Amino acid sequence: MNSRKLTALAGVSALALALAACGGGDDGGEGGAGKTLNVLIAANTQYPEEFQAWQKTISDKFKAATGADVKFETFASANDELTKIQTSVVSGSGPDVYAVGTTFTPTAYSTGAFVKLGDEEWQKIGGKEKFNPATLGISGPDEQNQVGIPWVSRPFVMAYNTDLLKAAGIEKPATTWDELTQQAKQLTKGDQFGLAIAYKDNFDPWKFVWGMSVQAGNPLVDGKTAKLQDPTVQKAYQTYFGWLTNDKVVDPAAIGWTNPQAVAAFAKGKTGYFMLTTPTAINSLEQGAVKGKWKFAVLPTVPPGATSRPANGIEAASILSGDNLLVADYSKNKDLAFEYVKLVTDQEAQLDYYKKFGNLPANAAALQTLSTDAQLEPVTEAAKKSVATPFTGAWADIQLALTNVAVQSLPDLSKGSLSPAQIDTRIADAQKAAQTSLDRAK
Amino acid sequence: MTTLAPPPQKAPPQDVRRKGVTERQRPLWLLTPGGLLMVLIILIPLVLALWISLIDLDQYTLRRWVEAPFIGLGNYVESFSSGLLNSIWISVSFSVLSTIATVPIGIAAALVTQNKYRGRALVRAVFLIPYVLPSFVVATVWRTMLQPDGVVNHWLSQIGIDGGLWLSGPRSYWALVIVEIWAAWPFIYLLSLAALQSVDHEVHEASAVDGATWWPKLRRVILPYLRGPVLLACLLATLNHINNFTLPFVLFGAPAPDDVNVMPMLVYVTSFQSLRFGLSAAMAVLSLVLIAIPLFIYLRAVRLDVHEEGGRR
Repeated sequence: MNSRKLTALAGVSALALALAACGGGDDGGEGGAGKTLNVLIAANTQYPEEFQAWQKTISDKFKAATGADVKFETFASANDELTKIQTSVVSGSGPDVYAVGTTFTPTAYSTGAFVKLGDEEWQKIGGKEKFNPATLGISGPDEQNQVGIPWVSRPFVMAYNTDLLKAAGIEKPATTWDELTQQAKQLTKGDQFGLAIAYKDNFDPWKFVWGMSVQAGNPLVDGKTAKLQDPTVQKAYQTYFGWLTNDKVVDPAAIGWTNPQAVAAFAKGKTGYFMLTTPTAINSLEQGAVKGKWKFAVLPTVPPGATSRPANGIEAASILSGDNLLVADYSKNKDLAFEYVKLVTDQEAQLDYYKKFGNLPANAAALQTLSTDAQLEPVTEAAKKSVATPFTGAWADIQLALTNVAVQSLPDLSKGSLSPAQIDTRIADAQKAAQTSLDRAK
Repeated sequence: MTTLAPPPQKAPPQDVRRKGVTERQRPLWLLTPGGLLMVLIILIPLVLALWISLIDLDQYTLRRWVEAPFIGLGNYVESFSSGLLNSIWISVSFSVLSTIATVPIGIAAALVTQNKYRGRALVRAVFLIPYVLPSFVVATVWRTMLQPDGVVNHWLSQIGIDGGLWLSGPRSYWALVIVEIWAAWPFIYLLSLAALQSVDHEVHEASAVDGATWWPKLRRVILPYLRGPVLLACLLATLNHINNFTLPFVLFGAPAPDDVNVMPMLVYVTSFQSLRFGLSAAMAVLSLVLIAIPLFIYLRAVRLDVHEEGGRR
């Protein structure tokens, strides 16, 4: 008991020192109104200057409305963010508001360090109704236990080359995975390929597998049971790998591509479809040879091997993707925190953020104004048809396990063949990892 | 077998007088600031890591981490079923291979820049480039070069070799070794060069007078001088290789291919993707023990040197 207290004391003093050394002074009273709200947010490497300007605008507006200052703190990677959450959770001090990726929300929830939103809290930020209902899908495990307030969405869609599709006699983009494969075959000839896929990306592969499985009626997690060893998952991997090995509709070099490399390949104008992208890629595409010759489309929502969705299948066009805002439980400025959340989730602020950074509004009215934009129409549709990934603290591990199947299969893919048995063995490993993690979930 | 023993060191004349003073009235209190810092920066975190490795600390218990359940050696036992042994094997073999390969390169480079010639300063500077480049940059550049349709495979195909995949599968191991060698040899070069510079002028003269040609001179006169420093360099380099996280992380990303799942990568994924802080602390402690073995040998070697000098006095 005693040694525990000692260790705790040592730990706390070490942490206090470390925090002091980092210069991360907590809410000091330098402002006129005396209060400072600390907001942790991802750094924007794509548009750094605009991001600075945006922070300035928000700070000014916040100051005008509340008299308090906002101090933004940025993190460069998920790792940085996690470290920040860890130290803050342990020490009980740190940022008041966190902007957290949707798939990371369950993990953040499981630490129990964030304010659960009751009616009162929702009212403070302008009511639950102001959000696109789909975006609330990953705010918490159920209606009564929500911590995440939707801020922006980045639904996944595909982009297609209008000229190439037209030349191949394809009238409209595919709506089923089988149709997509068929069209990709038509599009592949000479130095031209049907699909651009980032096989070596560390985040893309699991999204395909999850999407196809959910559409076939398997949400991958059923309560405390992992359902990775399932024909739907096997079929999903076969389809995903098959584009390269059997159908040969993907550039063999794609085996080494991450998502930005796949964007670059599609931007050259020699590929029919770019499979997994968000509106943040618009600028890159408009700078390439494909400029003015591409459109977004909703990803297929009918599982591979089927012409219509089975009865228990879900019309999942994208994972529920974007950022949620979380208010820290330890915060001494909770009211200010909710004021801030209200400010940045209001229609005007949401549209402004979209114009600057291409992140779609979570605010329903703001999203509605964009649905008249022809280019964005499929994206707003995907935002409405986004489905949340299972809300469990084990999801990070499951995602990792699903990606690992793809990572370890790359050498076989490059040899041009991957047997169902090989896929099965790797899925079995993933199932084991997923189940172990689910067993630990509380 | 050395033909020439190193010249005996001249003991400083006032040595005897000072010895008495330093041993009896050493002002040890002067060490207090340093000692405090050591406690703060090394000891406390180490004790914390040891403690964390004994408790079941994860995302669910993080908030009340002092109350996280104590599970004794549970994390250590689980480490071994979580692929730690495989990672240790990969880490050690990769490190030893890299060290073995860098030694001849480093020594050769040191010999090449030992004698004066026009442009030697430039050559020396160029040799240091891999060493001064940040690991992140090295890894990013190599990752680009080692793409399936990258420069390396392009060159290989011109001489009729199919390069294949360098960043996935079994060949990723060799990619890691090659890049590590490229980035790490200047360390051996630097220490060898320093050792070469310390060879007395008389030694060169004596071997010239004796009519020794370059090879016997190199093998029997110069290399024995390098033995000590190069051995130390090997130990330090091996430790550096084992601890290198940036290179595999940037080259291959996480999750890494099984063939390059080195210890730092395993600890990273366990800690920051699976959020099993207790388990990863146990892995880190085990890897510390592993690293302590060569470190121990190193410390012993340093101490032996001191003793030798003391004996000479």
